[in-house]
Amino acid sequence: MRALASAIIDGHALLELIYVAAVAGVGFCVVYALGVIGITRSQERRRARRTGAAALYAGLALVALAACAWAVVTGVEIMATK
Amino acid sequence: MTGDILLVLVIATALGFDFTNGFHDTANVVATSISTRALSPRLAVALAAAMNFAGAFISLKVAATIGSGIVAAGAVTMQIVFAGLVGAIAWNVATWYFGLPSSSSHALIGGVVGAMLAAHGTAAVDFAGLVGKVVIPALISPLLAFLVAAAAIVLTYRLVARLRPGPAARGFRAGQVLSGGMLALAHGTNDAQKTMGVITLALIAHGSIDANHFSVPPWVVASAASAIALGTYAGGWRIIRTLGSRIIRMDAAQGFTAQSAGAAVVLAASHVGFPLSTTHVMAGGVMGAGAGKRISAVRWGVAGNMAIAWVLTLPAAAAAGAAVYGVTHIFGGGLLGPALITGAALAGALAGALRRGRAIDPRSVGARP
Repeated sequence: MRALASAIIDGHALLELIYVAAVAGVGFCVVYALGVIGITRSQERRRARRTGAAALYAGLALVALAACAWAVVTGVEIMATK
Repeated sequence: MTGDILLVLVIATALGFDFTNGFHDTANVVATSISTRALSPRLAVALAAAMNFAGAFISLKVAATIGSGIVAAGAVTMQIVFAGLVGAIAWNVATWYFGLPSSSSHALIGGVVGAMLAAHGTAAVDFAGLVGKVVIPALISPLLAFLVAAAAIVLTYRLVARLRPGPAARGFRAGQVLSGGMLALAHGTNDAQKTMGVITLALIAHGSIDANHFSVPPWVVASAASAIALGTYAGGWRIIRTLGSRIIRMDAAQGFTAQSAGAAVVLAASHVGFPLSTTHVMAGGVMGAGAGKRISAVRWGVAGNMAIAWVLTLPAAAAAGAAVYGVTHIFGGGLLGPALITGAALAGALAGALRRGRAIDPRSVGARP
């Protein structure tokens, strides 16, 4: 039974799929949310003339959105090479 | 001469299937963006169509492997390909009519398997391959997307809980344009290639292409890309309404996480070589994004109807494919059967277009339920 199951399902690919999808899906959403926080807080701080905090949040937004851009490029690369 | 006309019929049917594939699967890409008003309905389908068109040119590797490991490729004839395509189109049109998102890829596989069974019996079908490549992924994909989207929305809500709703929603709507574009690109890459593979198989069966030097001709790539893009632009509004507003009533963060989780699962599957249906993934993602907020936010009755359609896709398309093959066989297995079926299908499509009931259009989809 076990041999039959392993002949039908590629267990290794399935496990890899689960963790890659979980890390990529949750990771991308969390990082993008950090980008949204960074942009929103940066604008709020700038309006309140707290330039130091505004710059920190802008930095957070920049790093987060750069990570998202990297994820998009990786996605296109996967499509092109699969 | 008969072989040439049959080839033209098969290619036209393949492009017709490609059109219904785009038409049927538009919802996967645009439903959440339209529902959260990240994009207007027309702009959303235009963007999706452009990305599907572009995606079709990115890779041709799947086109070379269509049907491998499921049916005996050597036994495939043009009549079988034609019958499989008609079976898949019939199922796509039926599920579109009821507004049910179902997998076009599974419909195509089901149609071809049914025609193969009718033509050659069970020996020509690899049932273990069918379970491993179709049934198991169909069980895993919605569940995985559900869990990823649910986890993502819980964390996202926690992160942005103290932000003012307006700016946060604007940020997530912008993200939806990005994630929707990725999903459309991935869809074009995956699904247009299936039609390219089918047309190339027909060209090999006809003798126009040498089977030992398999390559997809550029005109096949361009025509498949155009057909899926046109289908996407036509927009299957009934399914868009189901996926965008009848499963959950979503906000911008939920729309973004559903799409991003869906895109991540589809691309992860491509990365590890595990075949998944975009439709199943996106439906799972939408449900997960709803359930992550509140379990009762998901209309489980609608989700149940979708699950029934998924279970029925393979056998129903197989039955249709087998029936079409049976009809072509009654007329001698040559050109007459496919020509009659094409004529009947065109007459049916015309009658359906003339007797349109209450139309579902971009305006009714864009409206909040």
